[in-house]
Amino acid sequence: MKRLALILSVFSLLVCFSVAPLWAAESVKIGAAFALSGSIAVYGEGFKKCVDLAVEEINAKGGISGKKIEIVYEDNKSNPKDCVSAVRKLITVDKVSVLFGPAGSSNFMAAAPVAQESKVVMLSAQGTAEKLTQAGPFIFRIIPSNSKQGERLAKLAFEMGFRKLPVMYINNDWGLDLKDGFVDSFKKMGGVVTDIIPFDEKKTDYRTELLRANKDNPKAIVNLTYINEGAVQFKQAYETGIKTQWLCGSAARAPKMVELAGKAAEGVMGTYPSVIQDTKEYKAFKAAYQKKYGDDKIPIFGDYNYDMVYLTARAIEKGGYRAEGIRASLPAASKGFRGVTGDKTFDENRGMEHADIGIWIVKDGKIEDHKK
Amino acid sequence: MDSLPYYLQTVVNGILAGCIYALFAMGLTLIYGVLNFVNFAHGELIMWGAYFLFLAMAEPIALPLWAAVPLALGMTALLGMAMDFALFKPLRRANRLTLLIAAIGLSFFLRNAAQLFFGAQVRTYGFEIQQGYRWLGVSLTPQQLAIIVISLICIGGVYLLFFKSRMGKSMRALADNLDLARISGIHTRKVILSAWIISSLLAGVGGILLALDTNLNPEMGVVNLIKAFAATLIGGVGNLWGALIGGLIIGLAENIAVLYISPGYKDAVAFIIMVIILLARPYVVAGKRTD
Repeated sequence: MKRLALILSVFSLLVCFSVAPLWAAESVKIGAAFALSGSIAVYGEGFKKCVDLAVEEINAKGGISGKKIEIVYEDNKSNPKDCVSAVRKLITVDKVSVLFGPAGSSNFMAAAPVAQESKVVMLSAQGTAEKLTQAGPFIFRIIPSNSKQGERLAKLAFEMGFRKLPVMYINNDWGLDLKDGFVDSFKKMGGVVTDIIPFDEKKTDYRTELLRANKDNPKAIVNLTYINEGAVQFKQAYETGIKTQWLCGSAARAPKMVELAGKAAEGVMGTYPSVIQDTKEYKAFKAAYQKKYGDDKIPIFGDYNYDMVYLTARAIEKGGYRAEGIRASLPAASKGFRGVTGDKTFDENRGMEHADIGIWIVKDGKIEDHKK
Repeated sequence: MDSLPYYLQTVVNGILAGCIYALFAMGLTLIYGVLNFVNFAHGELIMWGAYFLFLAMAEPIALPLWAAVPLALGMTALLGMAMDFALFKPLRRANRLTLLIAAIGLSFFLRNAAQLFFGAQVRTYGFEIQQGYRWLGVSLTPQQLAIIVISLICIGGVYLLFFKSRMGKSMRALADNLDLARISGIHTRKVILSAWIISSLLAGVGGILLALDTNLNPEMGVVNLIKAFAATLIGGVGNLWGALIGGLIIGLAENIAVLYISPGYKDAVAFIIMVIILLARPYVVAGKRTD
């Protein structure tokens, strides 16, 4: 009897093992090295919800050429070291041909070379750093880079008639990146950057930096700053009697900045990557999200993650489930593809060709969209 | 823009920053002078001083500024005394390394406590922003004027106390030799307590002035304390006048440097000066008093 039980269990195990690859062949595996624990786990949960939503929708409509999508989640623990391990595990153990990379530009860039060397496609839905995709041709992003924002800021300056202005920026990856994007575009348009003034985070005294920026009484000063730093700067500029048009980036666009700086923030303008929300695609996404999760608070970057699944599915459909095929067909699959977050056509750097960049302005103590 | 006001304004900015550094450095150097250790948690006294005022002015207490400031300073002094009682008193005869590590630990504890209690977000006292008075093309707001005047008053007061009063004499005696001071009848516990009170008051005043001028956040103390360390070292550890002069040197140097080099290196200027002074006056590090 005992022997029979043993034989039966071995047999059933064998059946399971032999059937498993059959099932696997029926599904299309996509890896997801998401932050499910650690400091930015709160983001990872939101991404997962939106990815799951997209997968459910695609599978309900018959999957990719009849095959169901299966997402293999791997926790990247919110730090670069474990991001590399997670990506490596997805590639070597789960043998995925395509995977969604970690959030956070530095996390993503740590893991990108692993995917590139293994010739596995990796996509980002959150990384805006300019150099994000430079690891090689297998690395893609579906969110506009900082240079798009810099370009729009330069255009804004030109539209407002500013041809000569100094640039201040916060001395970190984001600030440096956006500064480069702005300065390049502004110079190409024929503008003159009179001075470039980096400043450190978390300081309490920016008076002399402001004084230097205001040296020739420029009509406008570009200040790529954060919430706290921006509030201190606008306050100190107001106290010193500096009167100029401030042009900022997305990081200062926060009600907290206006609350801290008070009337000194009045009239401050800036750019930010916006997702146009009154399109039929976005409304459908929002309705589907609400139906599945019961609330309509779309997690930050959730819409980009949702688009990433659809775009990847299109590429697999075109190129087959091989990394090389997906890589080669992604640009064609993206051409003219209108996702929830707008046109997703790739440019030559495997970033976004188009970007919807909005303009914000502080009016009567509130941040509003600037209409021309 | 003509250049004289431009440079004058830079000097004024430097003096403003320098006064804040000097206030911090004096509290630091006072504790060093009397107890012979560097209080790494001094930055948290500064920060808590500012937050105590925030508490006193917020609901449900909602005191006006003139009443809230003494309350906040009193609380800061209490915190300073509590620090000594809970941590440094039991370690009075421990070696310097133990004290140093204890102080660093305390610094983290107090900063995290503030974060837990008030949150990591930036806060403000919410006073109306004012434009500065213009004089010779230089702008100065009432708050900035207050920073300079109050700093001078504090420095003068501490000088009188330290060099012209019996208490100051006891403090100096205690700094020289704890046992000898005790034998000659100095009430050491009282003297140490007053040193903590004065140091905490200086921290509280500095923190409140800094927060009035900018904003409040749990890291406001520790960020500026590094400069205060540099100021202390430049002036000679344990030397009150040195702390003042060191603070002003750093404030002026880093602001003037901003006009000529990339402001990204602003911090480097303070530390280059510090290194040069340390190389030129190595006895300072040995803890030898220079006054």
